[in-house]
Amino acid sequence: MSTCEKPRTFVLLEELDEGIKGEGDGTISWGLCDDEDSSLTKWIGTIIGPPKTVFEGRIYQLVLHCGEKYPKVAPEVKFNTKVNLPFVSATGHIDSRRFHYLLNWTKSCTMKSLLKEIRRLMTERSYQKLKQPPENMEY
Amino acid sequence: MAGLPRRITKETQRLLSEPVQGISATPDENNLRYFHVTINGPKDSPFEGGVFKLELFLPEEYPMAAPKVRFNTKIYHPNIDKIGRICLDILKDKWSPALQVRTVLLSIQALLSAPNPDDPLANDVADNWKRNEAAAIKTAREWTQKYAMSGGQ
Repeated sequence: MSTCEKPRTFVLLEELDEGIKGEGDGTISWGLCDDEDSSLTKWIGTIIGPPKTVFEGRIYQLVLHCGEKYPKVAPEVKFNTKVNLPFVSATGHIDSRRFHYLLNWTKSCTMKSLLKEIRRLMTERSYQKLKQPPENMEY
Repeated sequence: MAGLPRRITKETQRLLSEPVQGISATPDENNLRYFHVTINGPKDSPFEGGVFKLELFLPEEYPMAAPKVRFNTKIYHPNIDKIGRICLDILKDKWSPALQVRTVLLSIQALLSAPNPDDPLANDVADNWKRNEAAAIKTAREWTQKYAMSGGQ
């Protein structure tokens, strides 16, 4: 019960501001699905597949659901764009038990660092053998 | 109240013992830097009769940094956007540690009395306000009835 804990609204408004400013190189981005959603619940993220990987140049869209207890409780994350990764289910949902970042989520984690981590994992050598679905397919 | 700066304790006490007319600010029971606020729509404004809910947070750097505030009640106002963010200079570059929660809330109340469409945040609202003020005021009144009166959200 820390008296200095930033309430959900202001954590998310800061993430929104940072998302609008952009990540510089544009390889990841995030923002509200609906700019009138004052509950700040449903977010859309994009990841551009890293170079020299099987994901290279593809644009992956994800939906992030930040519930009432965010950031204490991790968002639910789902790929809209089809991808073959061991921690992504057949419906596109990220399985938090198989994705360390969500499993070890703490309230100082952000959507930005989550997207960055997914993109970093795309460069893992062992994933380069995974056969990827045709580009631009959706779940 | 361990760790809560004396300044915040003082400000809170005064807010509770000498409330500003038409404004209430209650600290959250689990977080004394977090306030649940209501502002009554000022008389002779299109917000009259409405009770607007806001939330306010004093960041760790307060009073060196401004409080963070947003509207939780939907409002049709050129300086307040669709997710409740407020365009007010003292919440941004004009913040000074000499200001207080009380002054911030008074300034927001004043902003409701005097919308400033030349310094907009909600652009389409500001455009309407400048193009047809009477119609904009009518919409603001309707939104007040719909969202800020009993039964509204």
